[in-house]
Amino acid sequence: MLLSVKDLKMHYKTKMGYVKAVDGINFDLDSGESLGIVGESGCGKTSISMTILRLLPDNAEFKAGSVFFDMGNGPIDLVKLDESQMRKYRWRGISMIFQAAMNSLNPVYKVGDQIIEAIQNHFPETPVDKAREKVAELFHLVGLDPSRMDQYPHQYSGGMKQRAVIAMALACDPKVIIADEPTTALDVIVQDRILKEIRKIQKKLNMAMIYISHDIAVIAEVSDRIAVMYAGKFAELADSVTIFKKPMHPYTYGLMHAFPSTVGEKTDLVTIPGEPPNLLNPPKGCRFAPRCPKADQTCINEEPQYIEIEKGHFVSCHHPVKPGEVVQFYEQ
Amino acid sequence: MSNELVLKIEGLRKLFPAERRIFSRTKYFVHAVDDISIEIKRRESLALVGESGCGKTTTGKVLVGLEEPTDGRITVEQEDVTPLLYENESSARRYIERNYVERFSKMDDQQLKTLDGVDGIYAERFLKLSKDGTKFISEFLENRRVRVWQLRRRVQMIFQDPYESLNPRMTIFDIVSEPLNIHEIGNLKEREDRVAEMLASVGLTPPETFMFRFPHELSGGQRQRVAIARALILNPSFVVADEPTSMLDVSIRTGVMKLMMRLADEHNMSYLYITHDLAVARYMSNNIAVMYLGKIVETGPTEEVLQNPLHPYTKALLAAVPIPDPEQKRGEPNIKGSVPKPINPPKRCRFFDRCPYAVEYCEKNDHPKLVEVLPNHKVACYVVSGETK
Repeated sequence: MLLSVKDLKMHYKTKMGYVKAVDGINFDLDSGESLGIVGESGCGKTSISMTILRLLPDNAEFKAGSVFFDMGNGPIDLVKLDESQMRKYRWRGISMIFQAAMNSLNPVYKVGDQIIEAIQNHFPETPVDKAREKVAELFHLVGLDPSRMDQYPHQYSGGMKQRAVIAMALACDPKVIIADEPTTALDVIVQDRILKEIRKIQKKLNMAMIYISHDIAVIAEVSDRIAVMYAGKFAELADSVTIFKKPMHPYTYGLMHAFPSTVGEKTDLVTIPGEPPNLLNPPKGCRFAPRCPKADQTCINEEPQYIEIEKGHFVSCHHPVKPGEVVQFYEQ
Repeated sequence: MSNELVLKIEGLRKLFPAERRIFSRTKYFVHAVDDISIEIKRRESLALVGESGCGKTTTGKVLVGLEEPTDGRITVEQEDVTPLLYENESSARRYIERNYVERFSKMDDQQLKTLDGVDGIYAERFLKLSKDGTKFISEFLENRRVRVWQLRRRVQMIFQDPYESLNPRMTIFDIVSEPLNIHEIGNLKEREDRVAEMLASVGLTPPETFMFRFPHELSGGQRQRVAIARALILNPSFVVADEPTSMLDVSIRTGVMKLMMRLADEHNMSYLYITHDLAVARYMSNNIAVMYLGKIVETGPTEEVLQNPLHPYTKALLAAVPIPDPEQKRGEPNIKGSVPKPINPPKRCRFFDRCPYAVEYCEKNDHPKLVEVLPNHKVACYVVSGETK
């Protein structure tokens, strides 16, 4: 197992109390595999990646859990490392494509130099010409013209900036890349190209990927397995076909039927009533219970366990949806 | 009544100067909207789709008077409202001079009588004033200020970002009742009832609990409902909805989409639904118009266009939309390069550089006109309409 996250808990401390953004997350990731994490804004999906990489703001409090990462010499718990040791794993072990990539390039430095800086930071002994060679190679890999290395970010289009950021994430040959909304601000045609490029590179380098997005359609295209996140917890995790064809959690079911598509029959879209809970004091029992048509007293009082119902299919629900069952969401 | 046109746009153009010069005339213009024509019937909605920068939002802004049109005529319910969209009266005067007086003066009485539609109405008025251009113009501009106000009651807008379109210092009641204040409708009690009714109908129930809250106390979906309530409280004939659901989460989005459809039905209203999301457009419109670089390249009934796209750009756009189903594989979008800047575009098909089917004919001729290839399904492409042969 390349990456194994066990019972991860991270809360943000605010004036009003703790915001339980990551509240008991479990998943495994093998090399070459891609995991999609889908969830609505504020459900804590970005916080998971920040907790794994330990790039947390000051008000974040790590509560519990472990992140085992195996670079080839046995699993190491990243949580227990101190900052200087952790630096060895960032970018070289696990790197990240940040949300709003267009803004994650520094406008006053040349794009190539920014990537060289990343390389030399982690491998200080690399001479500049070697690093430049590497950058040219990376540019080639992501489909950018290496002659653009000495240009500034403003000379790039949105799609090109995104490619440059991907090149930067690849700079130190990481084992895992976390892509947080990698194509959200892009138009569909550019998005299509970028996603294809990432998948091609992933296959070529046999990397593991974690995609984070609110867009189920994007996640469906790029992931082998999908985790559906709701209010700081995973509601369901399974391979992507199972998630789409046999969802067991009523929330997953609702999401799948709420998402419009341009192909196939024009079906009636489902509305999930209510709003996601405030993570300051989430519901006592199942966090989805107030919006769930299947919820009963047990759901309101008892938190469901996150269990493996079938092989590789994890659900946390007292009353999972049976195959073929139609869940009626009542309208507001 | 059902076939009545609510909105008709003819040859709308909007150019922005691409540079500022002090002593000479501007030479370079961004052709944001370049000669587009749209018709919307009552109770029907049109989705305007396209990538960012294609001019869809500019079109919407012109309609509600946030931008002045450079050229073209906009008719709302059989009334030419273009003179009302110009900021100052002299531009409006020039518009009428150019579009009606000059044209009508060249025609004889018989020709003027044969004109139909909006032209017919104005031709009749022109004849009644015994072809006096100055009188015609001043009658046209009579009560311009008042009519601008009336127009704003009939055309409303819903913005994309519910976090920025609501004033944080105003209560929900103030926000929703502001249009009533501005148009001096009813007294306080009546306004209160009206707002309560409106809030209830957008699903903010019970209204009393929402009325005196502030926007920051509401979630994104609730705020967008407030924005919808504000847009609809004056009973407009049509609403320009600029990506109203793109900022909302999936589980909340469907609710807002359904609400908008229901309200359109109840209020006899049409939407110009501006979006980049073809899947959302499918659910929100009867007709669709696909824009590329300021031009409409394909238009027709939504289901027809999405299932049977004809223009190479529409095909590529549809092929690039991810499908929420891991078992369905979609085609490869057949398109080259990236969107060029619409600054003084060359006189040829706008899509020429990126088109996989382009031939010499496409380069030698101006941008193609929309041609009805299938019933109601129009395409602006020489290759598809068979003109290249």
